[in-house]
Amino acid sequence: MGKRKGHPSVEDVLARPWCYYCERDFDDLKILISHQKAKHFKCDRCGRRLNTAGGLSVHMNQVHKEQLASVENALPNRQGLEVEIFGMEGIPDDVVMTHNTRVMQQYYEDAAARRAKTGNPMSGSGEGHKRKQIKLETPDELTKRFQDWKRRKLDGDTTMGNTEAPLPLPVVDPAPPVIPASFGQPPPTAAPFAQPPFPGHNGFAPPGGAPFMPGFPPGQAPFSGAPMPFAGSLPGGAPGSGLPPRPGFAPPPMSGVQFPGAPGGTAAAVDDLIASVTSQGAKPATPTEKKGKGKDKTRMIYSDNEISPEEKMARLSRYAFTAA
Amino acid sequence: MSSAQYELSPPPSDVISAIRFAPNSSRLLVSSWDKNVYLYDVRAPAAEQLVRKYSLSAPVLDVCFGDDESHAYTASLDWTVRRINLETGEDTVLSTHKAGANCVAYSAKTDLLVSASWDGQLHVHALSKPGQPPAVIQLPAKPFSISVTSDKLVVGMANRLVDIYDLKPLEKLAMQHNAGTPQTVEPLQRRESSMKFMTRAIACMPSELGYASSSIEGRVSVEWFDPSDEAQAKKYAFKCHRETVDGIDVVYPVNALAYHSVHKATFASGGGDGHVALWDGATKRRIRQYQKFPSSIAALAFSPNGRYLAVAYSPGFEDGKEDMAGPVGVAIRELSENETKGKGAK
Ligand SMILES: [Zn+2]
Ligand SMILES: [Zn+2]
Repeated sequence: MGKRKGHPSVEDVLARPWCYYCERDFDDLKILISHQKAKHFKCDRCGRRLNTAGGLSVHMNQVHKEQLASVENALPNRQGLEVEIFGMEGIPDDVVMTHNTRVMQQYYEDAAARRAKTGNPMSGSGEGHKRKQIKLETPDELTKRFQDWKRRKLDGDTTMGNTEAPLPLPVVDPAPPVIPASFGQPPPTAAPFAQPPFPGHNGFAPPGGAPFMPGFPPGQAPFSGAPMPFAGSLPGGAPGSGLPPRPGFAPPPMSGVQFPGAPGGTAAAVDDLIASVTSQGAKPATPTEKKGKGKDKTRMIYSDNEISPEEKMARLSRYAFTAA
Repeated sequence: MSSAQYELSPPPSDVISAIRFAPNSSRLLVSSWDKNVYLYDVRAPAAEQLVRKYSLSAPVLDVCFGDDESHAYTASLDWTVRRINLETGEDTVLSTHKAGANCVAYSAKTDLLVSASWDGQLHVHALSKPGQPPAVIQLPAKPFSISVTSDKLVVGMANRLVDIYDLKPLEKLAMQHNAGTPQTVEPLQRRESSMKFMTRAIACMPSELGYASSSIEGRVSVEWFDPSDEAQAKKYAFKCHRETVDGIDVVYPVNALAYHSVHKATFASGGGDGHVALWDGATKRRIRQYQKFPSSIAALAFSPNGRYLAVAYSPGFEDGKEDMAGPVGVAIRELSENETKGKGAK
């Protein structure tokens, strides 16, 4: 009845619902959705579980007067609130592609390892599956499709270039599944997108509110592709300036971000703050390095580096005092 | 559901310079450019939050409590460092700098009051010896922010210098007879700021192992006193209080920093953007960010029991600014159990 445990076919593996935020996969969509509500859309002030990050953002805004900064327990480059995810809905194409590539690579590696060990042929390939076959692409084909897609998408979207890269490690969520896995049911085959719309989806803007304010989480900038003109500003002579470059900082793809590898909120341990840690000392500032090179579109609200704002205020006539 | 955030009333009438909680109660001192010092009880019902207002002769740039809540100490634009008897309202000049006095800090263990001024000097007052003139310490540059632990003083200065002083020798000097002659004292460490721009605020960790500092260029750095390579390698800095407007990265000064007294790795930053963010300095994560306040964040303070966060907001001085009009207020946030807890151990 149920599929043979241990050696699912590649399409079985690819068909598993998975979570955009943490890359964990699930036996069925319902479990994925309750996972997302519990792990990614739960209000840490009152425990309420919302349907989406947008819903949580509005909730926090209205009920707790707080701004949701990022999605909890998400991989470092999946914490943003710009992407509206519900179950398997809303996952950007390139992310789907990367995910599938990774799953397939992993699958074939495992299978190869198994073959090497046992001498058995790949399972799943010769068995008559009742389910509709998913058209399989090789990693090469996928890559090519991804490249094409990227080319089409290239203009205008600066965040695309470095957002996604194959994740080197399967991410292990230390918590047990929210709902016991139901082995009796066949895994969902196609159409995980057939979920009916849910209340609030895409309609969560509160009256007069702006849940996704432009100035939103300042700390989230590092992966937005904005140049960091002042990175490496630590002068050579300062104590402790011999810091090694920190992982998790801009250009390297996300696989460069440390996943401490241990259970206990691994993915959660790295987020916007560490991601924005500047790689101090990586390249000591040279005297010729001018602040704010012409091209950098940066505007400092207060830019006098010698005289403090209070000294300037003290010069305003309204604060002039007459010494007694 | 109502939010646990409310405004103190009445608020100061002009830009706020500092807010400090009393060491053992829910009383809060607020100093303002309106030349007043305000004493509030943050737990009192709305109409009675203001306990008393003390009028001075010039804008007040900083204020702090001493070892109890009987007195306040102020630094003023008229160069004076004063003690205010909060019971009687009487105020006494403790010393006079040679330029505007911009910082005061009190360290209980040594019973020292340290004041700083744009004249580039510190005054170290031994409060245990009333009437004693302070030791005058010459700094290598103009000070902008100071913070104390039980045994150290950190001074953030112009030219991106940061001095770390041992309070012991300062105490010794303060106890001696002082002729008001400036002295130089060898700091434990003299550091260059790890940020490229002017130091705006400094806050020592409650663990007393290091400090956070912020700059006018939307950045916070966290570092440790221990000069060993190992400890120094833990140092980090990160960008914050910025926003992108029409493709331009608008960078605000980080005006305020405050550590939580119970969850000792947690600290708050307040920026010219009107935002207050809570950070877990241990796991390097942002814990939360509050809804934007109506003007620049001027100062932040956690109550000693960790139950309240006071947020002072008022117009911030910006490039080219000539008036300082805008909303002024002090918001008190009642913190829930987990609100300031770090995020590492989930
Ligand atoms: Zn997830
Ligand atoms: Zn809630």
